Parts: sequence; C-alpha cells; structure tokens
Amino acid sequence: MAGTVEVRFYALLRRRLERSALAVDGDGLAVLDLLSRAEQQAGRPFLDEILDRGRGLLNGTMILVNGENIRLKQGLATRVRAGDVVDLFSPAGGG
Amino acid sequence: MNGWMGRIVTIDLGSGRQEELPVGDEMRRRYLGGRGLGVRLYSDLCPQPLDPLAPENAILFMTGPLTGTVMTSGRFQVVSRSPLTGTICDSSSGGSFGAALKSAGLDGLVVRGRAERPVYLAVSPAGVEVRDAAGIWGLNTQPAQKALQERAGAKASVACIGPAGENLVPFAAILNDRDRAAGRGGMGAVMGAKNLKAVVAAGDRATAIADPEGYREMGLRLDRAVDKNPVTGKSLQVLGTSVLVNIVNAHGMFPTENFRRGVFNDAEGISGEKIAESLLLRQSACYKCPIGCGRTTRTRNKSGEGPEYETVWAFGAHLGVSDLAAIAEANYACNELGLDTITMGSTIGCAMELCESGAWDAGLRWGDAGRLAGWVEDTAHLRGVGVDLALGSKRLAAKFGKPELAMQVKGMEIPAYDPRGAQGMALAYATSSRGGCHMRAYMIMPEVLGHPVFLDRFSTAGKPEIVALFQDIAAVVDSLVLCRFLQFAVGISTLSEMLRTVTGLDFGDEELLRAGRRVNTLERLVNIRAGFTRADDTLPPRFLNEEFQTGSSRHRVVRLEEMLDRYYAVRGWDPLGKPTAATLAELGL
Repeated sequence: MAGTVEVRFYALLRRRLERSALAVDGDGLAVLDLLSRAEQQAGRPFLDEILDRGRGLLNGTMILVNGENIRLKQGLATRVRAGDVVDLFSPAGGG
Repeated sequence: MNGWMGRIVTIDLGSGRQEELPVGDEMRRRYLGGRGLGVRLYSDLCPQPLDPLAPENAILFMTGPLTGTVMTSGRFQVVSRSPLTGTICDSSSGGSFGAALKSAGLDGLVVRGRAERPVYLAVSPAGVEVRDAAGIWGLNTQPAQKALQERAGAKASVACIGPAGENLVPFAAILNDRDRAAGRGGMGAVMGAKNLKAVVAAGDRATAIADPEGYREMGLRLDRAVDKNPVTGKSLQVLGTSVLVNIVNAHGMFPTENFRRGVFNDAEGISGEKIAESLLLRQSACYKCPIGCGRTTRTRNKSGEGPEYETVWAFGAHLGVSDLAAIAEANYACNELGLDTITMGSTIGCAMELCESGAWDAGLRWGDAGRLAGWVEDTAHLRGVGVDLALGSKRLAAKFGKPELAMQVKGMEIPAYDPRGAQGMALAYATSSRGGCHMRAYMIMPEVLGHPVFLDRFSTAGKPEIVALFQDIAAVVDSLVLCRFLQFAVGISTLSEMLRTVTGLDFGDEELLRAGRRVNTLERLVNIRAGFTRADDTLPPRFLNEEFQTGSSRHRVVRLEEMLDRYYAVRGWDPLGKPTAATLAELGL
C-alpha cells in the first residue's frame, strides 16, 4: 500500500499473530511508535515478546529496518519512512 | 571418584589386546574430559601424524565429568585425525549414547588397529567385548541399530556407521539413538577403516556426586534458567533450529547457490516456520533435555528426523532448491547411510558450479530437487557421480581445476552463514582447529542473534579477543560434555558451579577458561605437527574478494588479515601462528 511501512513478523510473533505482515501507516514514526500502532492494528498484543518491561529491546530481539539492525542505528528511536520494510524477530537461536 | 568414572579402556582390534589407560587426577583437572581429554590422549597416543584410515590411528569415544548428570548430558565426543581435513577432529553427538557409555563405567574408549572381519564392540561394566558383525555390516544405520539393540536390550545405546563409513567416504558420520549424528569430519570413515561397525553400550553405573544437595539446587536453577530464556524455553522448542532461515536470510548472509548470493528468494518456503506448519510431526529431545530442538517429520513418502537449519540450507538455498520434502528426504538418506549433511550438500553445490562453469560435465544443475536423495545414495555407495562427490568439495574442485569453487577451510566445508555478513564468524571459520565449522566459536550468537550482547557484525574491532574467548568456552562445554544450546541460558560461572557440585573440585571461572585455552592450543600444536601453517588460516577467495550486489550484506568482503595478527597475539602465538614458549609454559604444554 502506498505511503505505508511494511511490518513483517517472524518466528513466534507470526504464530502469536497468525499473520506474516501488516501495512502500517507509519511514515515518520520512531520504531517504538510504529510497533505500538502495529499492535493496535493487529488486534492482539505482541510487544511483550520483543520489548522488556521498561520498553527497551529485549535481549535477543532483532528488528531490522530495510535489513539493518536498529541497534546499529538509533534503536527504538530510529525513524521509518513510507516504503520501508521492518522485519521483527522475537529472540531466537539455533546453529 | 566423583564425576569421572576413573576408567579409560584401550582396545586393539588387530590383536584383541585391551588395557586400561592410566589418567591421573592432574590430567583430568587440566583437560576435563570429552574433547579436551580426548585430544590430549590422542596427541600422546599418536604423536606423529598418521594416515587417518591406517590401522594404527586411534579413535576415541569420550564422555565427560558431567555426562549422565544434568540436562543435555547424554552427549559424547569422538576424537581422531580427520580423513577429510587431516586436522585433529572431534565430533559431537547428542541422544543418550554418552550416558550409556558412562553407565558402562567408562570415561572413554580408545580403539586402535583393524579387525580382520567386521566387528562391533559391546561395552558394559563387565568389560569390552569384540563381537562378530556378520549380518550387520552393510546395513543402513537404522536397521543396524535396531538389530544390535535387539541383541543388547532396550537399555543399550548404539553408535554405528552406515554404508558410507564402510566405504570410507571421508565425511561419513556416526549415528546413534536413531538419528543423532557425530556428523562432521569423517569419524565414520575412521571406524570403517577399522572394520568397526558399531559400539553398543549399556550399564548400571551412576555418576557419583560430591555435593548432592548443591547439585539438586543447581539442577533447579538450571531448569529455571532454561525455561525462562526465550530461546531455550520457547523458540527452539516450537520452531527448532530452522527458525534461523528467515533471520539469516534477512541479514543477507544466507548462502545461496554455492555462496554466490546472500539472499534466497524462496527462504520462506524452507523456513522453520514453514516446517512447523507442514512436515512437523513432533519435537524430539535428547537425554534429559527439556529443550527438545529436534524435529520428527514426514513427507508424503517417508518419515524421519530433521531437517535442522544447516541441512535445510545445505540441500536447500545452497543448491537453489526450495522443495522442503526433497530436502527432508535427502536428510533422511544421509542419516540412513551415515553421511554429514553439511559436507554432502556443500559438495553437491560445488559440483553444480563446476558443471555450470563447464569444468565438469556430470550434469548437476541448480534446483534439481528430484535427484538429491539419489546423489546421496550414489555417494555413500561410491557409484556414478557419487565416486567424485565422495571426495568432498576441496578434492573435487581441485580435480577439475577450479579449487576456488570449494567453499571450505582446511578441507571442511563451511556451513550456513556467509562470512561476509559477520566478520567475527569469518575469523572463527579461518582459525577453527577442525576447519570450516561454526561450532568452534559460534559468533552468530553476538553478531546476529544478540546473545549475550549485541555486536556490530561488520566491525572487526575486538573480534579477535571475542573469537578466542568463544573458542575457549566452546572447548569447555565440549569437554564437560554438554549441549551448546545451554549457552543461551547460562554462562561460564554456572558451568564451573555445576562442575564443583558434581566433582567436588573448585574450578573457578578462570581455571575453566584456561582449560579451554589449553585445549585450543594443544589442538593447534597437533595441527602444526601435521603440517598446517598460517597459510591454512584463510578463507576461499570468494569471501576475500567478491562482494554481494544485493541484500543487507552487500558490498562487503572479509577483512581477515586485519584480525589474524591480533588473534595470534591474543592467543599467545607468534606471527606465524605457532604458540610461543611462554604460552606453552603458562598452559603447562
């Protein structure tokens, strides 16, 4: 959808939400605000899978904006633009 | 004795002679067990490099001081010189065979010599018996295990080879507990060269615990830590290891078509999420493991275990294949025939690029899902194109004049993380003592997954120090012997506390890490004796010179040279990669 940010859900988030993506009207928002809006839109809570109680990133959470981890940018304050793709991974591992 | 059984038996299959190998308290304290003690004993028993398939070469089946105690302690390590790489090698497997071997009263079993006819070893508290394997030799791993299990009873655990090991394929695996595998480095071929089909272990000896109350409390703490951790307590249980497919692909470092790209367009179709909703029958778990990362699956035709992440990649993106059932069936075939899935898949990918380039006209094509299981069969039985695939990628690519197309380090194929996407992982591949392996220092944890802290994957700063530390911790876990996945939930202090409650010996964190450093340095010495030098601590030129043009790891190459000197310095090795006299003295080597 033009003017929206694509938020994609993986791992346990996808199972919780029973969907793999949402188009969120989030141009100019910080990632934290984008996520809150996505949660409202999804109609089910999911932020507890990726954020801690102080609303920081849970250890092991991976949030990529256009493939770049927000921990290497401005964290949850990283701004997104229309057309961006945000990948959300709850903590996961293997090997 | 607490923790250890205090007994290691060596048997010569040529002469039938067996004896106890004396190991003192000091050596146990310095090398622990498993990988560490195994490498120490191997180095003493085989001081000069031997042909890995020669009768006089030794192969060691090792347990550790924690084997048969806390969660995940059913594992064992197999140590020898690798026929794939020529390096020292230890290969680890889960299930319950390690616990069974220890319950037979052994810390380790050393096998040398070559039997005249196929045999298997039956190990119990009464001793080690050599038994005729007529009727078992030639069987795939599952019927072989079943037949031996029927003879030995339900409590016994069997570790065996399949046709690939019998045919001396240099990346043949050892399978136990049906589908658990000591996969890497060709330990199955070392068994095959000895005419040794299997080791069957059973017993009733319990590991003595020094501090039962402390041990019980430690067990509860461990339960809580593993349960509370989102990776061990949730993700691995629900989605298994293949949850990594989408993660690594999103980071642009999911090796595709022999590492020519870092993004596989069909990643979703072979992801852990997809497996959970398609092939998965149930999760499966090793001895006393609450995590249960294993996947019991079925296709329309067959059922079995897997695929795990590395195998999904090796038979999937690496070959341009997105048919999940074909990947699973190739995995089942590797398990049945006794082959390492990583080297098998990687070698097929190398073959596909060789064919595409015109260097080889064997007709292997990207995306040819329908022929995967057949190529695996051909490799194990050394027929058709399998004769060449059984060389492994390094020898195969060299044979057809394009050594640069083998994605290997020291002859071992690197797994499912493109090193251009994680500089620390790249250094770990280059310096691993058994070649291109992710298990010597799993730098994906901090560089991608953010455990225990998040590190910038493209930076080289501090990476030599962290790779060395991760290598040392890995050596400790492999020597105790436990599952690496515990590392998501607990740190080195928990390991040293566990060791204290079991053995009664007060290992501080420092002493434990020094033991890990000692093991890594000893492995270095063994490899130097075998002729390995700094020149071998490198990566295929693709990773040093060629950039991806797309994906989030684009425009990157591995900056190995700027890390290697520092790594050697951190290790106390000279600029040529040789441990200095001061380092050897400090570690008592």
